[in-house]
Amino acid sequence: MIKKLLIANRGEIALRIIRAAKELGIKTVAVYSEADRASLHVRFADEAVCVGPAQGKLSYLNIPSLIAAADVTNADAIHPGYGFLAENATFAEICHDCNLTFVGPSPDSIVRMGNKSIAKDTMRAAGVPVVPGSDGIVTTIEDARRIAEEVGYPLMIKAVAGGGGKGMRYVETPSELDRAYATARGEAEASFGNGDIYIEKFIEEPRHIEIQVFADSFGNVVHLNERECSIQRRHQKLIEEAPSPIMTPELRAAMGAASIKGASSVNYVGAGTIEYLVDKHRNFYFMEMNTRIQVEHPVTEQSANVDLIKEQLLVASGEKLTLTQRDPVLHSIECRINAEDPYHDFRPSPGKIESLNFPGGPGVRVDSHIYQGYSIPPYYDSMVAKLITFAQTRNEAIAKMRRALDEFIIEGIHTTIPFHRKMMDNPDFIAGTFDTKYLDTHDWKA
Amino acid sequence: MDLNYLRRLLRIFDESTATELSIEEEGVTIAMSKTNGAPAGMVAPTYMMNAPQPMMAAPAAAPAAAPAAAPAAPAAPAADDGHKLLSPIVGTFYRAPSPDADAFVQVGQRVNVGDTLCIVEAMKLMNEIESDAAGTVVKILVENGQPVEYNQPMFIIKPD
Repeated sequence: MIKKLLIANRGEIALRIIRAAKELGIKTVAVYSEADRASLHVRFADEAVCVGPAQGKLSYLNIPSLIAAADVTNADAIHPGYGFLAENATFAEICHDCNLTFVGPSPDSIVRMGNKSIAKDTMRAAGVPVVPGSDGIVTTIEDARRIAEEVGYPLMIKAVAGGGGKGMRYVETPSELDRAYATARGEAEASFGNGDIYIEKFIEEPRHIEIQVFADSFGNVVHLNERECSIQRRHQKLIEEAPSPIMTPELRAAMGAASIKGASSVNYVGAGTIEYLVDKHRNFYFMEMNTRIQVEHPVTEQSANVDLIKEQLLVASGEKLTLTQRDPVLHSIECRINAEDPYHDFRPSPGKIESLNFPGGPGVRVDSHIYQGYSIPPYYDSMVAKLITFAQTRNEAIAKMRRALDEFIIEGIHTTIPFHRKMMDNPDFIAGTFDTKYLDTHDWKA
Repeated sequence: MDLNYLRRLLRIFDESTATELSIEEEGVTIAMSKTNGAPAGMVAPTYMMNAPQPMMAAPAAAPAAAPAAAPAAPAAPAADDGHKLLSPIVGTFYRAPSPDADAFVQVGQRVNVGDTLCIVEAMKLMNEIESDAAGTVVKILVENGQPVEYNQPMFIIKPD
């Protein structure tokens, strides 16, 4: 069993990891930048080491400093949390070289899944459905026509060097293909100096649904159901829930089985998440794999009654997986509360929290590192709390979230609480009819 | 509960580097705690603020013991005057280049900018730390073999 764990992270996830470690009798070492001296995770760890100045590059991303901190405190394991070095294969490798248990998968798994192209190939080879498309760039119109036939319509022509929507064409019928091919190439050439294009099936009304997988070092792999994460703004998740409102037992079984196959094929160890796009016909397509614990892990914990961080520590200690697949027993929703002003384009609002009241009562969980009087440092991400509710039904979980958001008082900074409160009254959200484009195409304030 | 006893206890606690103290005597429990230099105003998470029982159970309830109300003065020793040399890295502090060699510097010794004052070792790499001031070493703040963190003061140098 791990004896002393260094948490190479900050904020709410550092606190979450410290909590799990304490429950397992593992001693904890917090690391912090100078800007985080007054942080809660520093307060609640058994030991704490200042590893650098405020800038992430010089502190939380400073590998020599983190390793030195583990060295002087005699830690025998490091948990990287999420973000920062969590998916840095070099860091995982260095931990191994220094005889520190890295709580996560092998460097090889991180590399294979980190490269989107390799990940897609690996998943395809494992029989996991991927977004159908050309295998690389399409160089002739004849090839384009042939591939379009295989992929099916509607489809997207995309520039390899593309960005900002340039060099992209949506093609609805075969008669549009030739012209779209030519103009996409032309635009790409003009915009990026590279006219190379590829073809991908257009996913209609895509929902972001991900599967939590977990594996031990003995080859046991399970899945712990799905999370729906379609409410996003600029590709940042804002609201997540488990289970997904559109899930069926058949789809869950299929996505779960595919995910287990994918994770097994790379000898994955630890907690991982496989993200899919699910279209309106409930076809699912592999998008990417995240080789770490995710921000939204609490909705899986609450809906399936598991502790994923404790399990990470057990598996990293060489124990056999204690988790088994079980269907969700409760419905859980998470709202990410950020220090941003939702009425002014969500611009960041760092500052001092003058007044604070956490919501409570049955079915409410708050994962947060803030306290009254805390000054949010401007150097890191703006998330200040995760508010999670859980109940027998989705409607009850929504009702609890409304109630909890009304009790959640944070004064001194702007937060996205009003945004979440509006969403809990939003008819489309309540009906479960939304996809990843929802916030781009609807005004949440309406 | 003798008020003078309480006063003496508070003074001892205040002047010590301890941050928490708990004494149980004749059925009365006295519990004290103070912030250890964290910025004044740092308060425990809100859910503890409504805790009904007072921190001190003694009937004389000396107000100075309430930890959340009045931040105690930091218990760190009085800062000496002078330039502090801070550790630029995390590691283990060593006074000498090797276990049987002489220390790089002693208290009272004069040093120039660029003189090696100590080693901070991290992962078997010996980093020589140089003085960034010219003057006299008046205090050495870390013991040989102790860990140091980023920007931890190691030496106090009285500039010329």
